[in-house]
Amino acid sequence: MNTHTSQVAIRVANVHKAFGRKKVLCGINLELPCGELLVVLGGSGSGKSVFLKHLNGLLPPDEGEVEVLGEKVSGRPEAELIPLRRKVSYIFQQGALFDSLTVGENVAFPLSEHTNLTAKEVRHKVARLLARVGLSGTEDLMPSELSGGMRKRVALARGLALEPQVILYDEPTAGLDPLTGEAITELIRDVGKETCATSVVVTHDLLVAQSLRGTLAYLSNGVFTFIGTIQEAMREQGELARFLRAGGLHVGA
Amino acid sequence: MPSMKVAVRLLAALPGRFYDLTWRRVRYLGAATILARDTLVRMVTPPFPLAETIRQVELLAVHSTTLTAVIALFTGMVLALQSTFALEEFGAKLYMGEVVAISLVRELGPVLTALMVGGRVGAGIAAELGSMTVTEQVEAMRSLGADPIRKLVVPRLWALLIGLPLLTVLADVVGIIGGMFISVWEVGLGPAFYFRHALRLLDYGDFFSGLGKSFFFAFDIGLIACFNGFRAEGGANGVGQVTTETVVAIAISVLALDFFLTKLFLAL
Repeated sequence: MNTHTSQVAIRVANVHKAFGRKKVLCGINLELPCGELLVVLGGSGSGKSVFLKHLNGLLPPDEGEVEVLGEKVSGRPEAELIPLRRKVSYIFQQGALFDSLTVGENVAFPLSEHTNLTAKEVRHKVARLLARVGLSGTEDLMPSELSGGMRKRVALARGLALEPQVILYDEPTAGLDPLTGEAITELIRDVGKETCATSVVVTHDLLVAQSLRGTLAYLSNGVFTFIGTIQEAMREQGELARFLRAGGLHVGA
Repeated sequence: MPSMKVAVRLLAALPGRFYDLTWRRVRYLGAATILARDTLVRMVTPPFPLAETIRQVELLAVHSTTLTAVIALFTGMVLALQSTFALEEFGAKLYMGEVVAISLVRELGPVLTALMVGGRVGAGIAAELGSMTVTEQVEAMRSLGADPIRKLVVPRLWALLIGLPLLTVLADVVGIIGGMFISVWEVGLGPAFYFRHALRLLDYGDFFSGLGKSFFFAFDIGLIACFNGFRAEGGANGVGQVTTETVVAIAISVLALDFFLTKLFLAL
């Protein structure tokens, strides 16, 4: 599925972002190769979601550059980002399903927006996508009838509809019970393997980070203070060590 | 003297606060102007969200017909009662039909309809879009490569531009009929006499100046409601706040706009 030629899927250079006087990102740098999985860790309010929203242009940086799939994201008008957003899916923390549409219509939304598929083809594709996330037969339900875990699954199905090359997950397990959280984590891992998409998962849940086995990046004071494997992270000292210990991972293991 | 120190500190902070407030207002107006421009461009360029526009016409206009008719009926009746009372002093109560019709068609019909429908519809739009904004549905739309202005603002604006003038015509007609009830029951004038007088002085200019205003009111209501909806922050509290602000802003802007439009139409 990765048809683009660029070797680097995501390049972030010296990105700064402030809201009023509050500086959230203070010179973020990152290069993520195609097909890799990056887990962004950090405490609440550390700017993880703000960072993620820069990757598909939902937020513009005050300074610095963001490039995704070889295309510049920062500094471009909204209309020019539409082709790129077809290739970059964003899965929101609470799902962000359109509550006036049914589950089926939600999943069909990107298809009717960007493809010329017939109504029958759309129906088949929606059924296939819902089956992929384990929610067959829920097409006619309204989002208000779904549990938190089901909403996230539907959001993932909607996010997969256009076969994206990059998938951005914002706190995919937040607010879920451990079993549902584990099921969602497995789904993220399987989808990553099946589609070969580059994935960025923002989370504060260390068990998710451990289970996904991707590259870890730790966001603190507006910069990535650590980028590496989970084993390397466990040998770190200082704030990251305290964060890992508080999350139940054994430092120095 | 601690109270003196507090007073001095408050006075010293005044210029800064004034600057902040002014700057916020300028930014608000600037952002609303940009939304107005972007909306106008999308309203006249394809693709047109026809199905959603029809749905919005039903929600915003068709569902407002009872409210409009009831308010217009009572307004027409009160207007007839008051004008009869005033005209009687001059022995001119036979001319109540003219007073009711001219007042309704030129002024009260469009303005009252805009205020009532604006309050109902504006609050609804601001709350709906506000709720979509705080639950990230608007951002989700953007992230799926769809344009929230084309998807959400354009259908509502078109629905109001179609619906509000029609509701204004309804208010004019129902209001004049309301005046007829008073004419028959209270004054003892026959319906035919009342209608002959009511229509005697009305010309197309009166009708179109009233109707013309309703197009401007429609755009004003839709734009303020959508803009405020997109500004919502936080949770339910933020949605409630923008909804209240919307109703207040619509009421003030409709009345202010009415003054300038009346000046303009009288000058034409």
